[in-house]
Parts: sequence; C-alpha cells; structure tokens
Amino acid sequence: MRQEQFEARFGARWDAFEHWLAFARLPRRQRAKQPAPFADDDMAPRYREICQHLALAQSRDYGPALTERLHRLALEGHDRLYGTPGGGLRRFGHYLASGFAREVRREWRVVLAALLVFVLPYVATMIAVRLSPDFAYIVLPAEQLAQFDTMYGPDAAELGTARGARDDLTMFGFYIYNNIGIGFRTFASGLFAGIGTLFMLLYNGVFMGTVEAHVVNLGHAARFYSFVAGHSSFELSAIVLCGAAGLRLGLALLAPGESTRGAALRLAARSVIGIVAGAAAMLVIAAALEAFWSPRTLPLQMKVTVGAFNWLLVLGYLLLAGRRNAP
Amino acid sequence: MLDTVREVSTPELIALRLHCAGPISRALAWFVDLAIRIGVYLVLAFPLSAFGKAGTGLILVGVFLIEWFYPVLFEVLAGGATPGKRALGLVVLNADGSPVGWAASMTRNLLRVVDFLPFFYAIGLVSMLATRDFRRLGDIVADTVVTYRRSATPLPIAPDAPRWRPHAPLSRTAQRAVLAFAERAPRLSPERAEELAEQAPMLTDDARGALAVSRLYGLAHYLSGREQ
Repeated sequence: MRQEQFEARFGARWDAFEHWLAFARLPRRQRAKQPAPFADDDMAPRYREICQHLALAQSRDYGPALTERLHRLALEGHDRLYGTPGGGLRRFGHYLASGFAREVRREWRVVLAALLVFVLPYVATMIAVRLSPDFAYIVLPAEQLAQFDTMYGPDAAELGTARGARDDLTMFGFYIYNNIGIGFRTFASGLFAGIGTLFMLLYNGVFMGTVEAHVVNLGHAARFYSFVAGHSSFELSAIVLCGAAGLRLGLALLAPGESTRGAALRLAARSVIGIVAGAAAMLVIAAALEAFWSPRTLPLQMKVTVGAFNWLLVLGYLLLAGRRNAP
Repeated sequence: MLDTVREVSTPELIALRLHCAGPISRALAWFVDLAIRIGVYLVLAFPLSAFGKAGTGLILVGVFLIEWFYPVLFEVLAGGATPGKRALGLVVLNADGSPVGWAASMTRNLLRVVDFLPFFYAIGLVSMLATRDFRRLGDIVADTVVTYRRSATPLPIAPDAPRWRPHAPLSRTAQRAVLAFAERAPRLSPERAEELAEQAPMLTDDARGALAVSRLYGLAHYLSGREQ
C-alpha cells in the first residue's frame, strides 16, 4: 500500500484518537458539556491499532511526518493508558474500608515483630519505674519529667496541658505535624537495615513506659488514664504499623531471598506503602481525638468506656475487616 | 556508564528513550521548589497568624502537608513534575516509562528523609553517583527515574523551494539524509551545498548546481508533509 492510500484509509481514525486525547485532558466539568469522540472503553483497542499502524509505517519506510505523528499519538496514548486513574480519594476510601486491614493481616509477621519491639520495653520500663521510682530520672531528664508532672497534676487547667491556656486547634495541628511525621520517619528509617525503625519503636516504648509509670507513681493515675484512654488505640497501633512497614523494608535488605536486593526492596515497598498511608489516616483520627476529646474533664468511667470501645473498634477492624470479600 | 540515555519499550513494543537527569539539574529543581515552599509558608503564615492560636494549629497542618505531600500531589496530579522540576524540564517516571502513581510517588517522597541524611542529601547524592540512572535511594525503592521531559523533535524547516516528488519510494536512511541536508545546507556555502546535492542524482533527476539543491529542499518539504 502506498503512503497516500494508507493515510486516506486510516486518517480519520487517527484524527478521532487525537481528539479523544485532547478530550481526556479536559477538566471533568468541560468534558460533560461535549460529546466524546468515542467511548472510553474503545480507547485500548484504538490505541493498539495506532501502535500497529506505527509499526507498519516504520517497516514500510513511510515518510517521517507520518511516523512522527503516529509515534506521538502512541506515546500520548501510552501515558493515558498506563497513567494513574482518577478518583484517588475514593479509591483510598475503598482501600481503608477493607484492603488496608487485609494487608496488615498478610504482613502479620512483621506486625508481630514491631509489636513486641514496642511493647516489651514499654512493659519492662513500666515495671522498673513502678518498683523503683528513681529509675525514671535515669531514663529521662528531670525537666522533661517535671513537665509531665504539671500536665497531669491537679493544677492543670485541662488534662494533658503543659502550661498556660490550651488551644484545641493548635494542639490538633501539632499532633498532626509531629505524630504523623514520626510515623513516616519510623517507616523510612527502616531502610537502614531496619535499625532506624527498631530504634524508633524501642525509644517510644521506653519513653511512654517511663512517663506512664512516673505519672502513676505521683498519684495522677486517674487524670493520666482519663487523658490517654480515648486516642491511645489509634495512635499506638498506627505507630506499630509504621514500624512493621519499616521492618519489612529492612528485612528485604537483609534477607532478599531469591531476588536481588533492589528487586526485594521494590517488592517490599509496594506491599507496605498502603499500610503506611492507612496508618497515617489512623493518626489523623488519633490527633482529632487527642485534641478535642481527650482533654475534656468528664467522669473517668465514661472516658475509659469510650477508650475501651475505641480499642475494640481498632482491633476488630484490623482482625476482621475485608474477610468476606477477600480476593 | 557515560551514556545517560535509557531505552525501554512499552508493552506494545514501542521504544522509549529516557534521558535520565543528573544531580545538578535535580538540585536546582529542588531549590526552585524550596523557594516556592517558603513563599507558600509566608503567604499562609501572615493571614493565619491573625487568628491567634487557632491560626497556629492550621499553620502546623499546612506545614505538615507541604513538607510531606507537596511533591506527591504534583507528581501524581500534575504530570509527574513539581513546579521546580517543570521549570528545569524534568519529569518523574516509573522505570518502565509510564507515569508515576500514588504508591510509587509516596514511596520515593517518604524516603526523602533517608536520602537527606546525614546532611543535605548526602546519602542521596552518593546513591545517585553510584547508580546507572542517577537514582537516589527513594528512586531505587520506588522504581522510579527522573528524566528530561520528552520533547517532540520538530522536523526541520527547509528553505522555500517548489515541491519535488521522488519517482520511487525512499528508504528510511535516504529520507533521513534528505532531511538532514535540508536542515544543514543553508549554513553551508552555496558551492559546498551544490557539491553535496550533486551526490544524489537519483533523487534530483540528474539536476546540477542550484537546481539540485532546490530539488532536495522540495523533496524535504514533501517528506515533512509541508505544503510549498
């Protein structure tokens, strides 16, 4: 077939494909106003046709103007076909509804490891500080401990407040900035063969265990638990999940199995990045609870009941969600 | 090792040439982004600080979002490039040449904190110098590359000449030679251009001198699909 015949025969289809590409680039509202050149699910076969025509044009030495045009159409079609589909927020919502919990259960080994690395030092320091209160001063500097004394002491205007008037929204911003940042760093530092993640989990376990036992030693137990009961479920589980994701990275580096280290890392990251995003969502919930619910001075019974309910919610979700429609 | 071009092919076997970008242009893009981020902070901080403590909370949320998600949002929603990368003509792609998605972009940008250590992207720089496609650790783990934006190479515009058609189909090598001639001949001396044009009598019907040059230009017009 001569080039002119080829162009005359398929030119209209190339034009339609070009129109569709321009149409797909438009914002959604403008797209609604005009008819599509062809249905979206017709795109893939038409794209393959373009690729085929490009191959023909190249093998038959058709002119560079034609091959350049087909090449450009094929590349733009490729980007459109293999690019990210829209509706990212909706897809993340679907993921949180079930896929997140499924992936956490699939990675149960590293989750268990992270849990132990966090909980064991937590419980150990708590016992140590309860038995000998002075041990707290070995772990943390005195000023920092004094700060916690005022936060949970009877003089605090509201629970968990260091000094001065507390502003809920400011604290919300701080918890978002600080806690989710810690979560992300816990994950990322897993790239140092897991050592960074182990340190973060260990440090947080020791820190929290010390503070908890120290505050209880001073006789502020009721106020302390009234504050932490509500948000602890979301916050602590999310930190452990970020730790698990980081350990998975470190493990891929240390024990890549049958693939290269690079390939093992890529696979590990792809299978846990969703968990990190889900943990970030949990930390947003935790920050909202910690800023707006936890500081309220309500009867201890009520605060603890809500806290227990939240723990049931989190654990029930992680253990049960998405079992029915498991792929 | 010295070649920064990486050939990949799409599942439909169309060759893509990715020109991987080195540390210098990526650092410049980072500085442009830094300037933009600082600008956004200032714009956010002045009106919000008027709201007192509530404003501080919102500023902190804003700082968090910009610190961690500024690159992710631009890379996924704005064609693979933050404003800084766009200014430098860079784009983030998956290693197979397809546009990056949420997972890959999140991975490479969360791991930025590791590349940043111990100071100012030292680890990232070492990693970029040690890998073939200038990948920092985040790129290795997310399987992404930073490349120069694909630019369509426009066909050369030949000087005005009447259209001239070949009698027989031309091979691709011959087509390319004609186009290359049309692109470069205007910068040669007329004598040299004529001398070169006379080398291809089968394309110009044995024309000599200026006519041969003009016919080759006409042929280039025909090949590049331009009228006149």
